Amino acid sequence: MVALALGVLIRIDGFEFSGMSPMLWHALMVGWITQIIIGVSTWMFPGRNKEENFLNQKWEWIAFGGLNIGLPLRFLAEPMATAFEPSIWSYLLIASSILQFIGILSYVVGIWPRVQSKEQRRKNRAKASG
Amino acid sequence: MPLVSRILIKASLIYLLVGLLIGVLMLINKAVFISPVFWFLIPAHIEIMIFGWIIQFTMGVAYWILPRYLKDKGRGSAKLANLVPILLNAGIILVVISDLMAWNGAALTGRVFELSAVLIFMVLHWKRVVTYNK
Repeated sequence: MVALALGVLIRIDGFEFSGMSPMLWHALMVGWITQIIIGVSTWMFPGRNKEENFLNQKWEWIAFGGLNIGLPLRFLAEPMATAFEPSIWSYLLIASSILQFIGILSYVVGIWPRVQSKEQRRKNRAKASG
Repeated sequence: MPLVSRILIKASLIYLLVGLLIGVLMLINKAVFISPVFWFLIPAHIEIMIFGWIIQFTMGVAYWILPRYLKDKGRGSAKLANLVPILLNAGIILVVISDLMAWNGAALTGRVFELSAVLIFMVLHWKRVVTYNK
């Protein structure tokens, strides 16, 4: 919704502001596509611990937090940092990039061992059941 | 999960981290100007994130999860399937090298490799997009 709204606004004279185009593309590619990939793969890849608690899903929660704080923070800080540099907004922009980095890294750490063959899955199940 | 899917998905996760790292560097450069060199990384960032991450991940999951043939090999020719990650990744690397070094020949070859990978992917999956309910 945000990406599409930005796509409409960017075409209207007087609404455009600095950093609007990267904001649109990152809302679409990170905010929507990447997050839907993360959500669906977390759900359907083999090896998910079905008991829902923070400890079992820590990597996914860190990914969720990192991306959903980092991305809106970027959307706020990027135009402000351009308008009022150098300022606190520049540091918030750096913070937003680090938060997104932590979020994605956390997703990769969580999903990597779940990319496994049937044979690996069988072995892991056998190991888990003792 | 078959080997081809595992290769495509793990390669896509590596591209995701590389593309992300480039993005982080560009954003930090925007906040605290370090060098104009970072702006030349934009085409490589886009190529890595779209072809390396999103498209490659999608292809890996589709090869694994689309309905399989009821007879013979469930996912079609294994030899053809093995070509998909090879051609796609050779293509992406060539395009990224060309973006970084302004080498047009590599970009053209890279795009041809990417196109070949996608055509093979289409041939392999076209008849797997089916319903078993008639």
